[in-house]
Amino acid sequence: VRHPTRWIALGVAMVVVVVGVVLATQVGGDPRADATRSQLVGGAAPSFAVRPLEGGTLTRAELAGRAVIVNFWNSWCAPCHAELPALARFWARHRDDPSVAFVGIVRDDTERAVREYVAAKGIDWTIATDPAAKAALDFGTRGQPETFAITPDGVIAGAQIGPSSVEDLETMLAAARGKRR
Amino acid sequence: MKNAPWWLLGIVVVVALVWAAWPEGETSATERAHELASELRCPDCEGLSVADSSTASARAIRADLSRRVRDGQDDDDIRQEYVDRFGESILLNPEGEGIGVLVWGLPVLVLVVGAGGLVLALRRWRLEPAMHATSADEELVARAQADRASEP
Repeated sequence: VRHPTRWIALGVAMVVVVVGVVLATQVGGDPRADATRSQLVGGAAPSFAVRPLEGGTLTRAELAGRAVIVNFWNSWCAPCHAELPALARFWARHRDDPSVAFVGIVRDDTERAVREYVAAKGIDWTIATDPAAKAALDFGTRGQPETFAITPDGVIAGAQIGPSSVEDLETMLAAARGKRR
Repeated sequence: MKNAPWWLLGIVVVVALVWAAWPEGETSATERAHELASELRCPDCEGLSVADSSTASARAIRADLSRRVRDGQDDDDIRQEYVDRFGESILLNPEGEGIGVLVWGLPVLVLVVGAGGLVLALRRWRLEPAMHATSADEELVARAQADRASEP
């Protein structure tokens, strides 16, 4: 090989260029960007079976035909506390609408703490525990609060990672009803 | 015998590659589930694998992995299920496709270029004589040759 030093320099230069291009194109991207949005929007909602505090089992099949808002939360979670007034205002608007269902699913909490919190805050929408965190897993939740809107025929129409405002909830409900706001 | 070090180096490299690539024996369902759990990022903790976390999510995922393995689901299918549900970021190790190829390929490229450079440099040093004859040396040799030629 003639001029080996030149070939070595060329090889090193090529590696430097490749590293530079990769860094330049990737440095602005967040490798965990997909953690800030649900991958399930547009797909079929998981068929959950949760246990309402008042007893029995509630399944997604039982809610078919209604637009469903599912909110994952915990009584110890500060962002969930911050979100609570918006949830209460939203439900006050829709509680008398039989085409809408609102279910709060406890993600990782004790039933006793949840009951005390629900009683203290006067929460009047369905609150259910999630045995073995199955529903939380099937919805691909990464924390709490997370909220999903499901169409009457069982498709996830919208999702909110983190606390929802009344506006967010109304937008998701409209999407679940196939309407744009 | 001149090339013995190169042969020895070649044998070491081949043995190391064969050892690294040698397929492991059958793993049990529990081991498979644990391996998969160690490849998945715990969804609600920072920088921990599902295998290392004790959150409710991690426990639920471990139970789900065990069930899927018991049901005979393929490892790639299980990984894909989780990517579909949580996104690529659920994988602690980047995929070997797309931009992930660079993450795996770049170190190999650096290694190959480095090794190539080393080989070229060693060959060059070997071809070049270690000591150069000075003009005094050459005169000395010339004188010795002349003396030898003049001898009867």
